[in-house]
Amino acid sequence: MELNIYGYKCRRCGHLHYPYKTICKKCGENDHNEFDIVPLPKKGKLLTYTTLYNPPSDYEVVTLSLGIVELEGGSRITGQLNIKNPKIGMKVAGKVEIVRNDEYKKHLGMVFYPA
Amino acid sequence: MREVYVAGIGITSFTRLEYPLVEIAAYPGLMALRDSGIKKVDQLYVANMGSGRINGQTGLASAVVDHLSLTPAGAVTIENGPASGASAIKEGFLAVASGMHEVVMVIGAERMREVNALEATDFVATLTHPLAEYIYGVTLPSLAGMFARLYMEKYGVTSRHLAMVAVKNHHNAMDNFFAHLHEEITIAGILDSPEASTNNPFVADPLRFYDVCPVSDGGACLILASADAMKKIRKPMIRLAGIGQATDTHAVHERKDPTDLLAVREAATQSFAMANVQPGDVDVAELHDAFTILEIAESEEVGFFKKGEGHCALEKGETKIGGKLPINPSGGLKAKGHPVGATGVGQAHEIVLQLRGEAKKRQVENARIGFTCNFGGFGNNVVCLTFIKEK
Repeated sequence: MELNIYGYKCRRCGHLHYPYKTICKKCGENDHNEFDIVPLPKKGKLLTYTTLYNPPSDYEVVTLSLGIVELEGGSRITGQLNIKNPKIGMKVAGKVEIVRNDEYKKHLGMVFYPA
Repeated sequence: MREVYVAGIGITSFTRLEYPLVEIAAYPGLMALRDSGIKKVDQLYVANMGSGRINGQTGLASAVVDHLSLTPAGAVTIENGPASGASAIKEGFLAVASGMHEVVMVIGAERMREVNALEATDFVATLTHPLAEYIYGVTLPSLAGMFARLYMEKYGVTSRHLAMVAVKNHHNAMDNFFAHLHEEITIAGILDSPEASTNNPFVADPLRFYDVCPVSDGGACLILASADAMKKIRKPMIRLAGIGQATDTHAVHERKDPTDLLAVREAATQSFAMANVQPGDVDVAELHDAFTILEIAESEEVGFFKKGEGHCALEKGETKIGGKLPINPSGGLKAKGHPVGATGVGQAHEIVLQLRGEAKKRQVENARIGFTCNFGGFGNNVVCLTFIKEK
């Protein structure tokens, strides 16, 4: 089964939110708080990125690359990068993988590779 | 609303302090009481971000009010991320302006060095979005790194400009006894020399070690009073004339243009409108330079310079002491230090010193209007204050 990260689409105006909100940011719909849960696209372009040289202590890595990606359709997501020489504007494709492994839980999130 | 004045100020060194958090909060309170010459306040506000998590102490304001023997005055702790300090000043202002209280004390205090640097960074990172940011390993330096990357690409800001902010603020801090870092640095030492990459390694590419503020302990205090109460207090009439506060999306990626700091723009606009002044009227400002890029970006968003031109003003020396608009004469967060919950009160402390003409060697001449920007989260909760010295 293919793993996904899910966005929340307002049933009234269709605006896609990620992450989840209680009230739609675009139309302010607050009568019934209804969103359709839809998988986020996985392809997009890299908006910006950084390499962290002192990642949080539960990461057993020396450096950690992070980026903001604009996904097809216009929604955006923050994710980890597995890209050797990232460049602003490059095309990337995401996979859902374990992004943090703390003492309680393995967290799943989007990791981007060159498309 | 009634007018509100600053009756007294106090501060500790921003550095590694080897005494308990409650005393870090109480000492600036004591100094401010002495400064104002009063012995009682109606209400105490204590701004702090992490005592419950990193110091294992909750209910901080109750402990501090007792430590200062100010009971039975009301006391409340205010946590609003790195904008806790100015948020507490806003609450203090409202209490006096509304007529509910005559004199209130606002303290900001933080003891972060009780844990190591990685734990302190992780503690601050808990203010990021838990599901959309934190789980990826996002920390404040990484958000600043991503912001800087895009900003530099878009507006032609270079590593050299960032280093110029650090050099300026380190230089200013040399004349501030209470600053964390007393270390004069040069562009050659941190950027150009063969040793530069050792002296100044990457933290969150493109940001380097000297682009990032230190992790500090420290406390600061402001006593606010009504005009009536000021009659008995022989202090210069520094009026807290404008307050603005605004928020932005929790997750940074949701912002239409991730290089816009809309909450800064909105909070500054509100603050200037309330004080009835223009950004160009400001004589001295303390901006929230937790990362060097933020001093440049905020100087534009608050309206001092056009968007994309902050680094040009910096280059021309306009933001130095002696320049057209000195920014961060205290050394800023970069060199004065950043005890998160105390920072907003520390900024206001510096502005009051400047407006009173008590800033000694780092005094900005004839300063009459001062401004602070206290930046919480990564720009998701911002408080701006405008102070005016009255004749």
